Amino acid sequence: MEAEEILEELAERGEFIVIGRGVRRFDALDKALGRAKFTADYVERDALVVKVVRSSLPHALIKGINIDEALKIPGVVAVLTAGDIPGENQIGYALPDQPFLNDVKVHYVGDPIALVCAENEEAAFKGVEAVEIDYEELQAVYTIDEALSEDAPRIHGGEDNIAVTTRVRKGDIEEGFSKAEAIVEDTYETPYQEHMYIEPEAAYAIPEGHDKVTVIGTMQSPFLVREKVAGILGWNLNQVRVIQALTGGAFGGKDDMGPLVCAKAALAAVKLGRPAALILDRDESAAYSVKRYPARIRYRSGADAEGRMTAAEVDITVDCGAYANRAPFWLWRMTAHAAGPYEVEAVHVDGRAVYTNKVFGGSFRGFGDVAMHFAVESQMDMLAEKLGLDPLEFRLRNVLRPGSRTTTNQLLDHSVGIEECLRGVAEASDWWNRRGEVKRIEGKLRGLGVACAHHGISTSRGAPDWSAASLILNEDGTFTYRTGICELGQGSQFGHAKIVAEILGAPLESIRVEGPDTDSTPNARPTHGSRGLMLGGSAAADAALRLRGRMVKVASEMLGCDEGDVELKDGRAYDRRRPENSVSFRELAREMYIRGVSPAAYGFYAPPRRYFDPETGLGVAYPVYTFAATVAEVEVNPETGEVKVVEVWPSMDVGRAIDPLLIEGQIHGAIAQGLGFALTENLIVEEGRVLNPNFKDYVIPSSMDMPRVSDVIIVEKPYRHSAFGAKGVGEPAIISIVSAIANAVYHATGIRFRTLPITAERLYRALRGEKP
Amino acid sequence: MRPLPRFRVHRPESLEKALELLATLEKAKPIAGGTDLIPLMREVEVDVKHLIDLSHIGELNFIREEEGYIRIGATTTLSDLVASELIASKAPALWEAAASMGSPQIRNRGTIGGNLCNASPAADLGPPLLALEAEAEIRSLDERRWIPIGEVFAGPKVNSLAEDELLTEVRFKTPPQGAGSAFEKIGRRRAVTLALVNAAAYIEVEDETCRVARLALGAVADRPLRMGEAEERLMGKELSEELIEEVSALCGRLVRPIDDVRASAWYRREMSRVLSRRALLKAWRRCAT
Ligand SMILES: Cc1cc2nc3c(=O)[nH]c(=O)nc-3n(C[C@H](O)[C@H](O)[C@H](O)COP(=O)(O)OP(=O)(O)OC[C@H]3O[C@@H](n4cnc5c(N)ncnc54)[C@H](O)[C@@H]3O)c2cc1C
Repeated sequence: MEAEEILEELAERGEFIVIGRGVRRFDALDKALGRAKFTADYVERDALVVKVVRSSLPHALIKGINIDEALKIPGVVAVLTAGDIPGENQIGYALPDQPFLNDVKVHYVGDPIALVCAENEEAAFKGVEAVEIDYEELQAVYTIDEALSEDAPRIHGGEDNIAVTTRVRKGDIEEGFSKAEAIVEDTYETPYQEHMYIEPEAAYAIPEGHDKVTVIGTMQSPFLVREKVAGILGWNLNQVRVIQALTGGAFGGKDDMGPLVCAKAALAAVKLGRPAALILDRDESAAYSVKRYPARIRYRSGADAEGRMTAAEVDITVDCGAYANRAPFWLWRMTAHAAGPYEVEAVHVDGRAVYTNKVFGGSFRGFGDVAMHFAVESQMDMLAEKLGLDPLEFRLRNVLRPGSRTTTNQLLDHSVGIEECLRGVAEASDWWNRRGEVKRIEGKLRGLGVACAHHGISTSRGAPDWSAASLILNEDGTFTYRTGICELGQGSQFGHAKIVAEILGAPLESIRVEGPDTDSTPNARPTHGSRGLMLGGSAAADAALRLRGRMVKVASEMLGCDEGDVELKDGRAYDRRRPENSVSFRELAREMYIRGVSPAAYGFYAPPRRYFDPETGLGVAYPVYTFAATVAEVEVNPETGEVKVVEVWPSMDVGRAIDPLLIEGQIHGAIAQGLGFALTENLIVEEGRVLNPNFKDYVIPSSMDMPRVSDVIIVEKPYRHSAFGAKGVGEPAIISIVSAIANAVYHATGIRFRTLPITAERLYRALRGEKP
Repeated sequence: MRPLPRFRVHRPESLEKALELLATLEKAKPIAGGTDLIPLMREVEVDVKHLIDLSHIGELNFIREEEGYIRIGATTTLSDLVASELIASKAPALWEAAASMGSPQIRNRGTIGGNLCNASPAADLGPPLLALEAEAEIRSLDERRWIPIGEVFAGPKVNSLAEDELLTEVRFKTPPQGAGSAFEKIGRRRAVTLALVNAAAYIEVEDETCRVARLALGAVADRPLRMGEAEERLMGKELSEELIEEVSALCGRLVRPIDDVRASAWYRREMSRVLSRRALLKAWRRCAT
């Protein structure tokens, strides 16, 4: 049988062994007991402490770097600057615009200039204070408008401050608007969001002999880290071993920060021949690490008298900050999702990402789609109101269905469950009965809001994506599974193990997952883009299917039956017709080793090839989309402006729920993070300086701020080309909650916020007539 | 953030010993729960060589009622206050304030003495203790004095104690039967949050007439403030929602808040009015129940 057929057969059995059930994760106990090891737990006492000397100005030329005083401080071993880099002094992700250590020019407050390496924290700290930088200050650029103005200084030279542009031209926009009965136009702005992962960035590098280095770090993309470390050192990839330690939250940020931090520790370790550790303090992490890119979106859209969308014209500007980093990808994602999860005949999108002299943006859960859907879902509410339609009903008339075409004219022929999601949350929240009137309870205003989301899984624009994994049947019948997909708290590796267990009929406990180590795990590519389970898990399935074929063959010979009659279950191979005739995996494994049948398999997976035309912005932007709909109920206190999110009804079309508990975990976490973005998180940046880089004044929600979360409505519209049909979950979870809250605030108060966060003070002012 | 400075920790088991260490050691500083001091030392340069840990001094840890006073030892933790039946029933304003602070971990370590001596304008125990007209006992090796609680605060994060002095006890007269008190706070989330404004009220009513009214607000000036002018307008009057509304509006004008990253001065004034009203109404409703 072909691999795909086996998978289909397993999927069609109707009943799974482990898939679809919430099972206790392998790592739950160690994490609960504090035994799990994170990067800082590996650092030995005698390791060098590395600290970064950073720019104190937002934009300046460097005239000189004087390290003499720093070197006099007892305990300071070395101060490394650009000249000490053996490889290339360049670490830009999408564009080569980002020096690793700056010696010519600095582009934001916090830009790295030198590394102080010392025997202890105290010496390192004093060393950093003692390095003298001679600057020639340049005019700085802080806002999108300043960046785009004719006479703005060019931050990276060139003709302007635009790092990248995008466009989509789908259908006849004039005709679309001419058919519209209602047209709504507005401008939306979303701010920075800081990840505030509980574990700050950390890396520990150990030199191995004269030509190899091991780096242990907190990251999302070990093979990208390896590439960047090797680039800085001027080494081959196989001279760098990168081990991802358990990571205490990442949310995208560590995809970008992993290489930056690991390369610094590695440079120190290799230059000085000693283990070296770089662990960022909270204030460094909050002020200087990447953030959710701020964005401004001008949006004009129209719908006809029947309540069908006819046109959307969207103009997007992303504020990159000092470096482009992921901006091209971020902007393309916004561009390709610009019409939202709705069928719109005519869509024109223009996008650009501009440089400013502020901390640079980067990956963050939702990757542009949070901002994009905030605009889309506000527009949808406003159009519905203008047409006199219920906003949920209006969405139902327009949602993507099998056979629909997306913003980029991509045909969706299957795995489209947004309608079911929307109907599910409508029913669960009793929407049709409860949306009617704004309720007042003890002087407080209640409102109900709805929002939808879609999020393409894997890379944008048809860029090739693939994943790999390996699986070994050990002599005792247990399995060692290796994946390059990282454990960040989300549990994807556990999902892989369940897929392997399901395919092999192996007890979950008999599978041991080995996490990323670039010397031994296959390259699964990054743990981002909600691809960890869909792509990584499909590679796991491929490995398991390959091994299964060999196991079945040998078992059939041992059992004396046809291969087609061999069933693998509970760690044994059975003859389906005579179930008392069976062998254990231990016996089977022995036999395979003796007969010289390979007990190891390498799994590889790539979604079908895609075509995308960057000129028109049309084509297959993503292999598949995950869909979500959320209803939120808020209570606004008009006396203070405080918004309390009372209850949230989430739903998601996940393709296939490999583990409903993991999905619930992602959705609960995303509700907290989305609630913060919508209501309280407000990074204050003045003249390029972050004024609140701490938990005290950068206000993320506490557990007490969590709303009641109704049972997650899981819709399963399997994707034809992934293991068991699973799609990604991590990012889509945050997209709809933000807009659902903003729409609920509007329902409660009649005030529409086009910028976030909706802090108590802003709402209080708006309730008293100030323009929000 | 900066690394912690190098210091020696001393763990005296008697007050006498602690005072002696403070008097004799150079650059010595008391530490109780450390929930203010440790973060402060990582933020700014603190010139300290010795830390005198007060948490092993049994005689500083108590809550009791004696001779018409409720007495609280300086190292009593916020959790101790929250667990106290006496505080909950006799001084609900203080109980509510303690319960609103930080998280369980912070309340398990943070102390009443630390909260006062840290002298933050937003200290949550400031307003209720002002409203209860509490006093603090201040001791050094050879002196012992009682000062009104407000005098502990000398400015933002500056207390009035000399370097060799400790705050050892807080006391206030046991509120009579029928008195009511209440605390209100607005932050930016529902836990682990600094007050944008906090307020506490204490009221005694007799024959429908307000005999005693005290109101204090925090985070609206360089230290917690009594609203004397507002109190005068209440005393001797028959309380009503209208009167409380009017007096609260006055409080919005009496405060002297600043603009910062947390809120504007204007919003703090508005919230001063709102919280004054809430605290007064709640304290009044608690009278004689
Ligand atoms: C996460 C977090 C949340 C917080 N939330 C709140 C909150 O909601 N509301 C609030 O008001 N505060 C809050 N705080 C601040 C702090 O927890 C409280 O002020 C606490 O009561 C301080 O007590 P402590 O024993 O820890 O003080 P310490 O840090 O031990 O001491 C504080 C200062 O007082 C001095 N000191 C301590 N005891 C004495 C004494 N007996 N005599 C003389 N000097 C003394 C110390 O030398 C130091 O200068 C929070 C702090 C954190 C870290």
